[in-house]
Amino acid sequence: MNVRSITLFALTAAMFSAAQVSAGPLKIVTTTSDLKSITESIAADRATVFAICEGTRDAHYLQARPSFIMMARDADLWIRVGMELEIGWEPMIIDGARNPDIRVGGPRHLDASEKVLKLEVPTQRITRALGDVHPSGNPHYWLDPLNGRIVAETIAERLIRIDAAGAETYRANLAAFQKALDERMFGAEAVQRFGGSTLWARQLQGTLDGLLAENDATEMLGGWVARMRPFKGRRLVTYHKNWSYFMNRFGLEVAIELEPKPGIPPSPAHLARIVDLMREQNINTILMAPIYPPRAANRVSAQVRARVLVRAHSVGGLRAASDYLSLIDEVVNGLAETL
Amino acid sequence: MVSTYQDFIIIVAAVLIGSTSALAGDDPLQAMLNQIREQDQPVGVAAPSSGLAGAIQSLNPDISVVIDSMVHGDDARGGIGSILEGVDGFGPVRDPGGFDKGFNLREAELFISSTVDPYFRAYTSIVVTEDEAILEEAVVQTTGLPYGLQLKGGKFLSEFSRSNSQHPHDWDFVDRPLVSGLIFGDGGLVEKGVQLSWLAPTPFHLLLGTEVLQGENEDMFQPLGREDSDDALRDHAGPRLWLQWAKFSPPLWGSHEAQFGLFHGYGRHQDEWDDGINDGWLDGHSRFLGTDFVYKYDAPHAYGKGDVIVQGEYMYREKDLNLRASESSPALVGNSRLDQQDGLYLQGTYGFAPRWRAGLRWDHVGLTNRSRLPDRTTQRFGETHRLSAMVNFSPTEFSRLRLQVNRGEYLVDGDREEVYQVFFQALFTLGAHGAHKF
Repeated sequence: MNVRSITLFALTAAMFSAAQVSAGPLKIVTTTSDLKSITESIAADRATVFAICEGTRDAHYLQARPSFIMMARDADLWIRVGMELEIGWEPMIIDGARNPDIRVGGPRHLDASEKVLKLEVPTQRITRALGDVHPSGNPHYWLDPLNGRIVAETIAERLIRIDAAGAETYRANLAAFQKALDERMFGAEAVQRFGGSTLWARQLQGTLDGLLAENDATEMLGGWVARMRPFKGRRLVTYHKNWSYFMNRFGLEVAIELEPKPGIPPSPAHLARIVDLMREQNINTILMAPIYPPRAANRVSAQVRARVLVRAHSVGGLRAASDYLSLIDEVVNGLAETL
Repeated sequence: MVSTYQDFIIIVAAVLIGSTSALAGDDPLQAMLNQIREQDQPVGVAAPSSGLAGAIQSLNPDISVVIDSMVHGDDARGGIGSILEGVDGFGPVRDPGGFDKGFNLREAELFISSTVDPYFRAYTSIVVTEDEAILEEAVVQTTGLPYGLQLKGGKFLSEFSRSNSQHPHDWDFVDRPLVSGLIFGDGGLVEKGVQLSWLAPTPFHLLLGTEVLQGENEDMFQPLGREDSDDALRDHAGPRLWLQWAKFSPPLWGSHEAQFGLFHGYGRHQDEWDDGINDGWLDGHSRFLGTDFVYKYDAPHAYGKGDVIVQGEYMYREKDLNLRASESSPALVGNSRLDQQDGLYLQGTYGFAPRWRAGLRWDHVGLTNRSRLPDRTTQRFGETHRLSAMVNFSPTEFSRLRLQVNRGEYLVDGDREEVYQVFFQALFTLGAHGAHKF
């Protein structure tokens, strides 16, 4: 094959893939149900959205099943969480799908982690002796509502690029989603007064209370922030390292995980250590997602009289977590009642 | 210094209150985020990081090594290899495999894969044993063909069946199913050639493939290129082997998935005939065809608990060869030899506890088992079967320990040989996190 025929071949391929873009609603495939929920908020009826990993599943361990390949084959846009969360199955699905545009780096492949704020990015050389540690950081970033807000924007930007006709709809839907999220976060009154963006900027900087006090508006604060405020600095135990982003956003601390290392199931010795630690530090709550077996948490809680709070960490993990905002709602309310 | 700058941003931002325009860079949060991204350092209580700070960017290919070693014992006099070599109807199997009694280092498999450029992807698997390194696979495949097409070329494990396309460390049992081991040898059907496959635009998953291969499998498709004094057994030019296969997945609900396959292969084969009385050179065609299936249930429990895999395969082979030359029996030259054998396996595994799996496998070969010889006599052989049971424990995705017991009743020279085998296998994966094929 000489250079000319390769070019010709590439051009033909490009033409065919351009021709594949069909009229009617876009078909968007997201790797997780959380991304699906956010995407649906932005795309509304301009797209049908399918999620590969349902909320009741562990996105670390899925298989490249033929039915997933079918979804990817017809996808106009593929959105992933990124940060190596889907490393065990995404390449096989995309390889099997024969859809060149959704390959990594393609115009219809979107990594939702592009702009999010990341936590636990290793600063030293990691080894697998540390368990399932991801080289680019903890991938459970959607549990920080600010990252949900950022992801919505990333998705909207890409939708505008691939479907310019819907640009107005996407912009309007993004604004509506962000407004709804801001109001859940800070309360409608505070958002009305200061604007969501300012509140977020202040929250990020740690000067939110100052802003409210200066303006005599402390009472105005509502939403998740107000609900979680009394528990700032409280420590709790979780099963997997999947709540870091949530805890970081609301000023809570995870004392220890039931898993001795990410991806390694609890051992009796480790559980004994946790019992001691919980007694020592007066920790009364174990938070875990329903995808993990409850036995270890129950065993520990029986010994220290702690409460086990089971909350979905992905949309659809439990029935009440039916969309992205109610997912966060459920965790906030559960913790506020338990802590 | 940094915090004064931040304050400035906030003040500027405060002026802009109300302009919460989406996708605009002029609102306070956006300014704040931009600043974090630029400086990539902790702000406030959070210690966030963004961008490529943590990602190791390099153009190195993904490299992994799988170390596959075991302790093996059997009660066959000459070892299990000597039994497999001579199973009636199939023997002599040129590459019967088998294991030493005691410690075995089966292989260290070096797997290297990467995207080549916007049009190709490539991988190679180099199998290193104690004595040699074998280039098992070296493959380039297209990534951008339209219409669901994909072209693949190089040397690769033929994808006609599930068991043949898997590397040994991906198997659910230590050893290869009897039927494919006796027909193609312990290495399976691995050949140089090209493959074209097509993902049909059907509402269910239908993958059709065809392979044109060199045909160098010693037991089924080999060129002998034997120059004899009386007659020449000339080498046939390659490619000598053509395969067609189809894989179909019906739409199932929830966490259930199944795949059914049909396959057929046809190619040239040359062989020698040496039964102690007669000898000679044979030339003709070989054919195999069959079907396989796999059903998987992905249970909603952590660490593989409750997962089910059921898998099976049936394969029939036929070697239709003509006697081209014979010193001891020249009168038979021109007559043909027809070998017809088949076999199947059925296996299932179940995740009975987190990280633990148990499995059973039934191998049965020689349901059809006859050879019509050039002297027009027909030999009929009996059946050989084997039952295997295994338990494995996978501490993580990267390590696996497996205990397996086989009880086989092999028919060798008309005698039924009962052989027990026991394996304790240890599998370790180093390096890149591989993606798992269905």
